[in-house]
Amino acid sequence: MVAFAERRPLGDNAKAWALNAPAIAVIALLVAYPIGYSFYVSLQKNNLKRPRAKRFIGFDNYKALLSDQAFLSALKVSALFVLVVLGLTVVLALILALVLNERFRGRGLLLSLALLPWAMPGVVNGLMWRTIFDAKTGALNGLLQQLGLIESYHAWLTSGTGAFLFTALAQVWNTLPFSVIILLAGLSTIPSELYDAATVDRAGAWRRFTEVTVPWLLHPLLIVLILETMNAFRAFDTIYVLTGGGPGDATTTIALLDVQTVLTFTDFGLGSAYAWVITAITLLISVGYIGLLYRKGNFEV
Amino acid sequence: MELTRRHILKLTGLGLAGPTLLSACSNDSSSGGGSGDGSVKFEGWDYEAALVQQNLDRFTKNSNVKVNYTPITSAQYVQKVVAEFTGGGGADALYVYDDSLAAWVEGDYLQPLDGMAGVDEVYNAIYPGNAQAMTYDGKRYGLPYYTDATCLTYNAGILAQAGISKPPASLEELEAQALKIKKAGLLEYPIGLPAQLSDTWWSWVWALLFGSGGNMFDDQQNPIMNTSDTVTKDVFAWLQQAATKSKVIDPASLQLLPVPVDNAMKANRYAYTIGARYASRDYNDPAKSKAAGKIRMGLVPSLDGKEHGTVSNTRMYGLAKDTEVKDNAFKLLTYLGGYDDQKQPYTAKFWFLQRGLGFAYKAMVNDPTITAALKKFADPKIYTHLAEIAKPRNVLGVPWYTEFETEMHKVVQGVLSNQTQPSAAVAALAKSAETLKKKYS
Repeated sequence: MVAFAERRPLGDNAKAWALNAPAIAVIALLVAYPIGYSFYVSLQKNNLKRPRAKRFIGFDNYKALLSDQAFLSALKVSALFVLVVLGLTVVLALILALVLNERFRGRGLLLSLALLPWAMPGVVNGLMWRTIFDAKTGALNGLLQQLGLIESYHAWLTSGTGAFLFTALAQVWNTLPFSVIILLAGLSTIPSELYDAATVDRAGAWRRFTEVTVPWLLHPLLIVLILETMNAFRAFDTIYVLTGGGPGDATTTIALLDVQTVLTFTDFGLGSAYAWVITAITLLISVGYIGLLYRKGNFEV
Repeated sequence: MELTRRHILKLTGLGLAGPTLLSACSNDSSSGGGSGDGSVKFEGWDYEAALVQQNLDRFTKNSNVKVNYTPITSAQYVQKVVAEFTGGGGADALYVYDDSLAAWVEGDYLQPLDGMAGVDEVYNAIYPGNAQAMTYDGKRYGLPYYTDATCLTYNAGILAQAGISKPPASLEELEAQALKIKKAGLLEYPIGLPAQLSDTWWSWVWALLFGSGGNMFDDQQNPIMNTSDTVTKDVFAWLQQAATKSKVIDPASLQLLPVPVDNAMKANRYAYTIGARYASRDYNDPAKSKAAGKIRMGLVPSLDGKEHGTVSNTRMYGLAKDTEVKDNAFKLLTYLGGYDDQKQPYTAKFWFLQRGLGFAYKAMVNDPTITAALKKFADPKIYTHLAEIAKPRNVLGVPWYTEFETEMHKVVQGVLSNQTQPSAAVAALAKSAETLKKKYS
């Protein structure tokens, strides 16, 4: 008993490791292992429909992507989707954040309403917009007809361009609030003295915006750009519900193609390669953003 | 409290016990054979699960064989079954889609039924198309659950209002009739088709091809739609014209899954659609449909106006390769898909009477009970004739069928929305088929 009582307690370092070990184990088990395993699978010919043909093929799945028309088309659609969604999100989020940063009556209510779409799951968002865009009973058709802008109801999602733009709009609506929160938080940190000083220097509203607001918002913008790029690149649920990727290939993004390849075609090898390409591209873009914007603001973090 | 190695060991012990406790709480996937009481683990997609259970209870009562039935959501059925078999916990007996059969046999999930009691008798009694769909590589793998043939479904009431007395025999006639309905101001778009991208097959495309005597593949599954068979291109040309020039096909079709088309037919909002025969049962049910009593089925119109055929699908019951309760599982299969003691296909009859599901047994149409029920929603002669002339897709046996079907949906959407010309569409399909063949070779 005496021997037990005299045992030295663990040192700080050991305690830290001991306390973090469960979390590390869980992360390794639930995150690191599946990620690593998916890379291993991406190096295989691995289609559940043909288990006997399963074998290690190195980087053949990745090489095949260069001539894979479905992949190249989806990549193009994804890139365009990211551009449109990101452009709209940044511009609209900035405007909304600037408006919500002002003091006015009903601001709280407007802020709550602006945040509402973020609480909506992607599938529900897709279903809601599908109802709105419906060719027979859609609210959009009803509104436009009542305003006298159209004579008869249109099937908005049946042309390639229409489907693409409306899908992008639905995605923006869903993810915009998150960007607004980030930018609003950034705006609230700008000292009012800077605006006062700029006003004394006879800077107009535009110059105050470009010389004071934008530089202070570069870091929040960086976060918005990185996260929204990832979101748009991985967009699946809203698109799946709204158009299923159609008409034709018009809204088949790489995430949609990936889910289809893995779950419908049960081609886990190729699907895993797609997933890794998505990861690599978003990583590259994020690094690019950081290189472009980090430490470019007129302040130190 | 000081943290000592003893504390850490205790916590580690608890951590290790956790997963064991969790696994003890989980549902054992290896029931059936694994449970030791001879019970059969049976899985199917979740269509009318309560009725399935009711029928299974009857089987258990008569045979004393316990059945553990798990309905799986239709949208995830194939994926979940594949995941279960891959993980080693598949069912003993299960539903099988005709377009999954080849892959599931190749995946070693199913075993052939050749030589088992009563199988030859069943295969001799069913339509050849159904027998063909349940056969892979010369071996028989299923007993029939239900089958259907795709037909033209039309609203005779709307046709009569437009002064049309008989359904169209040719596609040209279909377009002309639809235009007449349109010009009479009865409907803006008389034809509705389910053409939104989805994981289910588009029977109406295959029906239009088979209805005109065409095919996309030869018997060796080589694509012929861009070479020796011109029907596909001509059918696509008709579709494009009807969708974008005469505008008789609803452009909203590209946004429609089968259920909204059903609802539109029941609401008198379409005069024509192409789909499964059994849908007419609901269309003609006064409790569910405003069009009740006016819906008729006809042969699929062809390019030349002559009768060529249509497409069939077959849903079957399969037997797992690794089942440990083979005898009991086969007893269940026989009860569900074969004959009972009175030499009657009890379950096939049960499903037709309960829900109008098509039957594979040729003789069933002569059963007075069946005929009486059939007359409530269809002309038995046309219904039977459609079954006789229907044939399955000859490309079901290739492992890349699902990919091809998906690609075809996109191409047809391009045709309907005027983004792809028919010649480019068939060229794209042929290229896609060749690429897939190479990929899977």
